Order: sequence, then C-alpha cells, then structure tokens
Amino acid sequence: MQKIDKAEYEKRLKRISELFSSMVVHADELSTYRCPYKNRLDQCTAKFGCRNQRRPPVKGDLLLCAGDDKLDYRSAWETQAEDGGEPGR
Amino acid sequence: MANIADIRNEFLREEIEEFLERPEEIERTVGIFAKARPAMQDIAAALIEGENDTVDRLTRAALEEGIGALEIMDDGLIAGMGVVGIKFRENFIFVPEVLACARAMKAGMVHIEPILSASGVEPLGRVIMGTVKGDLHDIGKNLCIMMLRGAGFVVIDLGVDTSADEFIDAIEEHEASLMGMSALLTTTMPNMGKTIEAFIDADLRDDVKIMVGGAPVTQEFADDMGADGYGKDALACVELAKNLLSAEVEVP
Repeated sequence: MQKIDKAEYEKRLKRISELFSSMVVHADELSTYRCPYKNRLDQCTAKFGCRNQRRPPVKGDLLLCAGDDKLDYRSAWETQAEDGGEPGR
Repeated sequence: MANIADIRNEFLREEIEEFLERPEEIERTVGIFAKARPAMQDIAAALIEGENDTVDRLTRAALEEGIGALEIMDDGLIAGMGVVGIKFRENFIFVPEVLACARAMKAGMVHIEPILSASGVEPLGRVIMGTVKGDLHDIGKNLCIMMLRGAGFVVIDLGVDTSADEFIDAIEEHEASLMGMSALLTTTMPNMGKTIEAFIDADLRDDVKIMVGGAPVTQEFADDMGADGYGKDALACVELAKNLLSAEVEVP
C-alpha cells in the first residue's frame, strides 16, 4: 500500500478547511434572507414541515419552496416533528 | 499557458465557461485541470455534480491503478471543491448542493483513510454528531460535520431526531470521546440536558466530551445543562472540538 507524508497531507487539510470556512461564512450571510434548505431549483430539502412548501408538479419530486426570500422564512417552519404533513396549505 | 481546450472532460469545460467569471480564477482552474489526468478530471466533475457513487467508484479505481492519494486529493477532490466554492459564492448553487458535494468528497476520502492509517497519520479525533430527539433541523449540524471532516476528524453522523440511547450506543460502538448535539427549537433544547443526564446515569459522562450548538443555544444554557463546550457556528465547532480533545489529552 502506498504511503502519505503527514506534512503534505496536512497541507491539503489546510486547503480544504480554508475552502469550507469561506463556504460556511457565505452560508451564514445567505441564511439571513434565503432559507438554507432551499436548493438551486427552489425545492425544499427539509425533513420537517414548512408553510412555504408546495406540491411539486411531478409526483415523487421534492416539494417546492414558495418562500419569496424577503420575509423571515423561519416563522414558516413547523416546530413539531409531527407537523411535517400536508404541504401547500 | 494552459488552454481550456486542453481539458478533456467536457462537463468541466462547460462549468468553467458557464460559472467562472474572474480571470485569475479561470486561469488557475484551467491550469489545474489542463495538467490533470483524465481520471482526476472525472473525479472532479463527479464531485461538482454531487455524485457520491461516482466519486466513490472513480477514487477506488484511481488508487487501484496506482495513482497517488495526494494527486487524487489535489487534482480531483480539492480541485472540484474549488469550483463548488466559486459557484456557491456567486449564488449559482446553494447550501443543499454544497452539502451534497461535501458528501461526494467524503465518498472519495473514505478510500484514502486506510492509506493515512497505514502511513501513521491518525485522524484528529472521532466525533459523534446528531440533532436531538424531536428536532428535524439539520443544516447547522451538517455544516459542522463538513467543517470537522475537512479539518481531519472522523465524524459519525446520527442524523436528526436522535435519542439519548442512540448517542450512547454510538459512543460505545465507535469508541468516540467527543460528541456534538444540535437543536434549533427552544422546545427541543431541553433534550440536550436530558441526553447529558442519560450519560451520567449510564456512568459514561466522564468518558466523553460533549459540545452543543444551534440557533437558540447559548453559552449560559450550555453551562447550565453541564455541556463541556458551546459552539456558536460551524467555524467555532472545529476550534471547540480541537480544544476539547487537547484538554482531554492533558488531563492525567
């Protein structure tokens, strides 16, 4: 089995940490106005219920997010695990 | 000077043309991929697409072909993640896509871990992470996991709605000495304290350092419930994990 030089490996870890750190900072900024569970296709990836969730046009797809990125999206999140039921109310 | 036409992987060429705008970033990225082997380009492309299985398969194949682990990290995994970072910064993709790419990176790193171990390079530590019972919010926890793995920790993710027994079982099964609990709801925050009490009842509290975090959690709350540390965000989580483990080593 090949070997890895520890110092060289740690240089890569440092690079990865730098990349991830800048992503986390941007995620934090972004979360002030855009729900972090909303993907690039405006689909909801949350495992809990939210009043902004809407039925997708194709059955089996992820629910759609109807949030407008202007109001505080957190107020739409359901606060009980069992509230993750019917979307699009 | 490298040319974009020197990159064999069509998807990578399209990604660079469509999403990279800053000349220095285009030059650097083209330079990296133009000199990279086609197999490394394919790993980077799969990572950018967040395809776990493909990254897993290609990384394994590359190692079997005798390609060095550091080359796979440089020209495949890290180079791909560099493009992901730019796309995220420019709001072409968002947190769910970034997390998918981070999981794809992990799928590749899994094959490099045995080489690290054989080389005497140990992980910084083993961490159990989960969102507490009754809570299904996981973005913050997932960003912490991404950061911890990137820093060199081995992380076992218990997911959401994690009971005290599941935390205890995982600590014992994986022989981890550190765990992190997250909660987003004020209604589920008390379950952090209940989990810590369960560790005391199981006579395991002294065997594990416990860190907590989540939007409503504060240092004061963490202190009150007997946690060893509180991290306000994913960046703080990594520093906290390092500090807790180093403190553990120093204690006789």
